[in-house]
Amino acid sequence: MEIIGDDKRIRALFSEAKVADEQAAPAFTATWGRAQARALKPRRAFNFSFAVATALLVCALASLALWSKYQTGTTVHTASVDLGAVLNPNPPVNAGSRTAPSVDQSQKQPQIKTRRTLTAQRNTLTLAANRRAEQKAEQEAKQLASWQSPTASLLSSSSDSLFKSLPQLNENSTQLKSFLPNRENEKEK
Amino acid sequence: MNIAELKRELERLHSASFGWALSCCRRDHSDAEEVLQTVYLKIFEGKAVFRGESSLKTWLFAVIRKTAVTEYRRNLLRRLRLTTDTTEVENRGAFETPTTSFERSEVQAHFQSALKALPKRQREALHLVFYEDLSLREAADVMGVSIGSARQHYERGKKKMRESLAKMEVGYGNNWGRQENPSAV
Repeated sequence: MEIIGDDKRIRALFSEAKVADEQAAPAFTATWGRAQARALKPRRAFNFSFAVATALLVCALASLALWSKYQTGTTVHTASVDLGAVLNPNPPVNAGSRTAPSVDQSQKQPQIKTRRTLTAQRNTLTLAANRRAEQKAEQEAKQLASWQSPTASLLSSSSDSLFKSLPQLNENSTQLKSFLPNRENEKEK
Repeated sequence: MNIAELKRELERLHSASFGWALSCCRRDHSDAEEVLQTVYLKIFEGKAVFRGESSLKTWLFAVIRKTAVTEYRRNLLRRLRLTTDTTEVENRGAFETPTTSFERSEVQAHFQSALKALPKRQREALHLVFYEDLSLREAADVMGVSIGSARQHYERGKKKMRESLAKMEVGYGNNWGRQENPSAV
């Protein structure tokens, strides 16, 4: 019973609020008219936040592209050495091109030659750089192999040879005694 | 349904729609009006299309609910960006409508504050059932939840409202439950 009573009370309070809301509600025609006016109003063509977001995205992509190019450029540059160009800086021109010579080709010849010499120079430089890098790596490897700890001398002692050597199996007893400690001397002491 | 028919139906449901918009906007009149305007704009531009999958009222209320959520988020961002908006909100409070003067009546004020204190879903369920006279199934459709979930929100909300009203009764020194059930005395 109490629940039903409370339900009624809640419903009554809601309907009181509803009556008040209906009185305060704006006219439908006015709201509809404003909505229509908003629909007919030309939209702003330039959206500032969208433009900023796009600019940021473009910047990020460009920087990423540059960074990746810089990263791969150094390794690829050294790896892509054209050995053929180094050994033979002036390779023979294709047979097809020889069959149809033209005036323009004769003019382009010096340009092509200079380009070839430039690439050859570049390649020799990269080869030299590679050689230098290899030599340096070899030196470093040697240094690493001959490295000794600075505290190694502190660990060495006079009895090192005794500890590190082992008696041979076919040695006689007198020879074996040399490995044993001198007990007589100890007794005297 | 063509636009003329739809307009007629919308006009018929206008006051109920405004009440629902008010509930979705935490009883802010200007926000509710803005939301309703945006809803009509969506319908006018064909962004919200009624396909007859549910009743028109249920569909309209669901559109209002979604629009209110979107507008609330947008306003929140705007208020975070512009500090000047706080003065606007303060000024808005100073403007008194007939509803605000009505809400100043103690019982209704207490009821409204208790309603505002409820979680959103519970408030929505109570409003749709008690205010809009929708069934729980229709309320669930509007809220975009299952009927079981809607029933839970409704029951929990009702329980909290009952407790809140009971506290108010103690404050005023009367008891509605006893009036309804004299044998309980």
